[in-house]
Amino acid sequence: MAKFKGASGQRTNKTILGRTLVLALVCGIVAFSVLAAQLYNLMIRDHDFYEEHAVSQQTRTVSVSASRGTIFDTNGSVLAKSATAYTVFISPYEIKYYHEKEYKENEIHYNDEPTLIARELSRILGVDYDWVLKLTEHTNSWYEKVAVKIDADLAQQVRKFKSENNIVGVYVEEDSKRYYPNGSLACHVIGFVGTDNYGLEGIEALYDSKLEGTNGSVVRLVASNGTEMLFENYQNYNDAIDGNDMTLTLDVNIQSIIERYLQQAMEANYILNGGCVIVMNVKTGEILGLADANTYDLNSPWGLAQKVQEQIAQIEDEEERSNAQTAALLAQWRNMAISDTYEPGSVFKIITMAIGLEEGVIHENDNFYCGGSIPGGTIAGRPTDLDCWYHAGHGDQNLREAAMHSCNVAFANIGLKIGAKTYYDYVKSFGILDSTGIDLTGEAAGQWWPEDEFEGPYGPASLAAASFGQTFNVTPIQMITAVSAAVNGGYLMQPYIVREIRNEDGEVVYSKEPTVVRQVVSEETSALVASILESVVGDEGGTGSNAYVPGYRVGGKTGTTTKTSIEVGENRKEYMVSFCGVAPCDDPEIAVLMVLDNPDQESGIYVSGGGMVAPYVGSIMGEILPYLGVQPTYSAEEEAYLDVTVPRLIGKGLVDAREELGSLGLKFREVGEGNTVVAQLPVAGAQVAAGSQIILYLTDSPPDEMVPVPSLVGMTVNQARNTLQNLGLFLDTSGASPSISGVTVLSQAIEEGQEVPYGAVINVTLVDRRNQGEY
Amino acid sequence: MDKYGSEPVGAAAEPAYAQRELRNRVQESRAVERGAFDLPFFLLTMIILVIGVVMVLSASFARAYYYEGDATYYFFRQLGFALLGVIVLLVASHITPAFLRRISVPAMLVTLLMLALVPFIGTGAQEVGANRWFDLGFTTFQPSEFAKLTVILMFATMICVYKDQMKTFKYGVLPFAIVIAVTVGLLLLEPHLSASVIIIALGAIMMWAGGTRWQYFAVGGGVVAGVGYLVVTKMAYASSRITAWLDPWSDPLDTGLQTIQSLYAIGSGGLLGLGLGQGRQKYMYLPEEHNDFIFSIVCEELGFVGALLILVLFALLIIRGYWLALHARDRFGALVITGITSLLAIQVFLNVAVVTNLVPCTGISLPFFSYGGTALLLQMAEMGIVLSISREIPLRKSKSDDGREK
Repeated sequence: MAKFKGASGQRTNKTILGRTLVLALVCGIVAFSVLAAQLYNLMIRDHDFYEEHAVSQQTRTVSVSASRGTIFDTNGSVLAKSATAYTVFISPYEIKYYHEKEYKENEIHYNDEPTLIARELSRILGVDYDWVLKLTEHTNSWYEKVAVKIDADLAQQVRKFKSENNIVGVYVEEDSKRYYPNGSLACHVIGFVGTDNYGLEGIEALYDSKLEGTNGSVVRLVASNGTEMLFENYQNYNDAIDGNDMTLTLDVNIQSIIERYLQQAMEANYILNGGCVIVMNVKTGEILGLADANTYDLNSPWGLAQKVQEQIAQIEDEEERSNAQTAALLAQWRNMAISDTYEPGSVFKIITMAIGLEEGVIHENDNFYCGGSIPGGTIAGRPTDLDCWYHAGHGDQNLREAAMHSCNVAFANIGLKIGAKTYYDYVKSFGILDSTGIDLTGEAAGQWWPEDEFEGPYGPASLAAASFGQTFNVTPIQMITAVSAAVNGGYLMQPYIVREIRNEDGEVVYSKEPTVVRQVVSEETSALVASILESVVGDEGGTGSNAYVPGYRVGGKTGTTTKTSIEVGENRKEYMVSFCGVAPCDDPEIAVLMVLDNPDQESGIYVSGGGMVAPYVGSIMGEILPYLGVQPTYSAEEEAYLDVTVPRLIGKGLVDAREELGSLGLKFREVGEGNTVVAQLPVAGAQVAAGSQIILYLTDSPPDEMVPVPSLVGMTVNQARNTLQNLGLFLDTSGASPSISGVTVLSQAIEEGQEVPYGAVINVTLVDRRNQGEY
Repeated sequence: MDKYGSEPVGAAAEPAYAQRELRNRVQESRAVERGAFDLPFFLLTMIILVIGVVMVLSASFARAYYYEGDATYYFFRQLGFALLGVIVLLVASHITPAFLRRISVPAMLVTLLMLALVPFIGTGAQEVGANRWFDLGFTTFQPSEFAKLTVILMFATMICVYKDQMKTFKYGVLPFAIVIAVTVGLLLLEPHLSASVIIIALGAIMMWAGGTRWQYFAVGGGVVAGVGYLVVTKMAYASSRITAWLDPWSDPLDTGLQTIQSLYAIGSGGLLGLGLGQGRQKYMYLPEEHNDFIFSIVCEELGFVGALLILVLFALLIIRGYWLALHARDRFGALVITGITSLLAIQVFLNVAVVTNLVPCTGISLPFFSYGGTALLLQMAEMGIVLSISREIPLRKSKSDDGREK
């Protein structure tokens, strides 16, 4: 204090000095210490809390969608792929905010901008003008979707509009869209995705986690008004990892063949419910094709067939209509081949036969007498007669003949010989009691008797019925898998459809090798079974003759069952017809199973798997086997009835042309005069039935006109060929061999009344209806 | 100490002091011995000014860009005022204390007149709900800022006149209370609560320094507390601020918004901050970011270390101010420096206390930092006055030639 007194030359009051010192202490030190303490609390102690809140309000995270993996067929052709699509959205907040500022400066009216945006977006994107205008009024929002999944061209137009007019608040965001280039092809296998790109059905659903990839994100800083911060480059990228690509065992060529014939079979046989086809590589379990008759376009899976839509539209009650809509969609998406079970009927005789041979209780040359039925009471638990479909009885027959006849009595006796315990064990081994584990969604399992009941005192009744495939259920996939095991050397294979999965770098992350579940029967048994199946199709009197393919060793077994009253109700009768073919029988490679649900009995067509399904399985075999590179071997008789490939004759001299056609067994007629062929019908390369008459044009070109296709159903080959010939059309056949006398046209590839160009070739499926019966 | 005036030593000094007073009155033009101004105080002021102007740029560019279309809109205006402010400071550093003392009463009267007029002819009702500014065309001018300085000058003059009578109620309390009451009364007409609080605090500090008995402060403090309680409970806008102070998150989008956003800015700064210019809260999250809440941006960008450094600079400036007061040649000078320094301290403390939510939110700008031209010019003038007074401090205080202190 003394110092201050001395320092103040013109002395101030001591009180002032003292009190000023106090002030210096309080204002200069204490106050700042308090502030420093508070800053410490906020900036160091509670830093994390405030930082978290601050960052959460300052950043906007934009998701970067990963590209979903591509699905390829076995040849590398694309089944499903994702392409970049775009989403257009507007930020009404920014539109308003930005233009309020502009308004002040340039006296532009705020309302001009939304009008312009709405007008241009509605023009480019085809959206409703008023609706967009309404969106711009949500001025608290930064994100209002205007259009989703638009293509690059439209996105570019929006960007152009944006830059040309200096528009703020209109954005184009990348997204992806799933394309299915083949439309409805293999729809039940591939499945589809929802709008959010999640798999909803089929492979898309089952392998969703493998296909979807991992979305990335971009975190960026935004100002309070939602615009980007100036001079701020902080952006945190989290790269998207694209989904894996997948290669299926499915072959689009085989798939389109089976889908084509399935549709024909459905129409020709007036099938009321559904139908499916499976093509399996019997040695590996690979599914080469899998089709369901209720196809739908994968690019619009929520759309129903015209016919179904009309039916639903007629329902008056809104709730019922909505339920019907849902039910129809579920039915459309349902994959019958793996989700539905059916009574396999006589196709199951293949299994019974294999068991009997393997156990040694039957031999190829044993005699199996059929008197038309097994009397009631003979079989424990069965008071009624067990009738063979051929009531007159097949008489004496060896095993091969019993199979060719599809004799129920013989196979019931074989089953009884095997015994319930052994039979049950084998059925289990054949995979009938479990599901196959195929990599598709919604697989059902077979329905068999409980073991103790099947092996109990009344079991023989069940055993007898089971022996020819009745009163139990399997899925089509189980049936074809079991048949494959019976003919491929005895190995039960696990069916599969996804061969390989590769990540975005092309590395294989999953690869499926053929899996032997177990060996069920020996190779010898298997070879004999295949040989007997060949007889069923190929030998005179076989019930599967309609599946015969000239030049190929096709075997198979028919199946016809009536559904149980539990399934369809009392006093109603519905059929299930099927055919399972295998080829080539000396070393089976493929199996084809077609199942058709409920042919319309009022159509007048005799209901049987042999008559209704075998021709189509034969047709399928006839196309698939050459496609797979199996070499045909024709007998001389067959050669005469083979379809002929039309040679190129244009420019050739008339004499040469005549000679060439003659050597191919084709007839010809000439139009005009001259010595040189200037045009021909049909065109070179077309397949026509043997004996077709080729038209050679010597002066003029063929007429450029359309011809309505006539109905050929029920005609013989000659009738059909002549009918077409008179119209300037040509015949080509598949199904039963035209060498069999009495075969008739079951269905035609191009429907009656449809217009085709003059000179077109019409394919028909032939059927041999001599041998009628529920076999 | 209170017997100072009757002490023989003090009595011996009395004639010289009286003589100087007399000389001042008679011959104003004759300057007392005036040297160079206090360099540390000047340098501290300049450092803080430079940092403040830079921070205005950093804090304001986002808003300036979005709202004014020019990121440097606020910066260049503030820079201009800062340069002008340096001139003002230098000019003010030549204004003699005697002159200030002479104009103190007229200045007070002019201030009161302006305060009386501003509610009627001023502007500001649209922006803040009260007319607080005179629109001078090129800039605006807030008479309440001016009132703070004139109250300091007025009170310093009064204390010098009353001298020992300061201990009495009649002289030491009543005249001061009347000046404060009139001034604050006019401020509350606007209303302008924060200025009122500062005037009251400033007045009390002047009275404290001037020698008013501490017992009166106890009584006065009670009165102020009572009135304050009434104000905050009866005035809706004040009471809502109390609620927002106690729990800003109770109304995060309205009354609590500023405080919350300020705390986010300060808290997210952490130890070293996001870096100059790198702050994010200024992007229209934090209102008044270049103004009353500029210190929040300082904290966000410069971190705890930077904010503390700036507080230390302020503290040094303030302590240096009080040091100059203690060494001032005469009572008037000492009191004026004390007043100006204390005003600075109050403003800094209250501003930082508001942005850190230590006290309820009210509009107090941060000297040398907050955007605002006239306020900055006035602050520079005040610093100039301090420097002017510092010119009269003898250079070698310890070598007093009369030797009486030995």
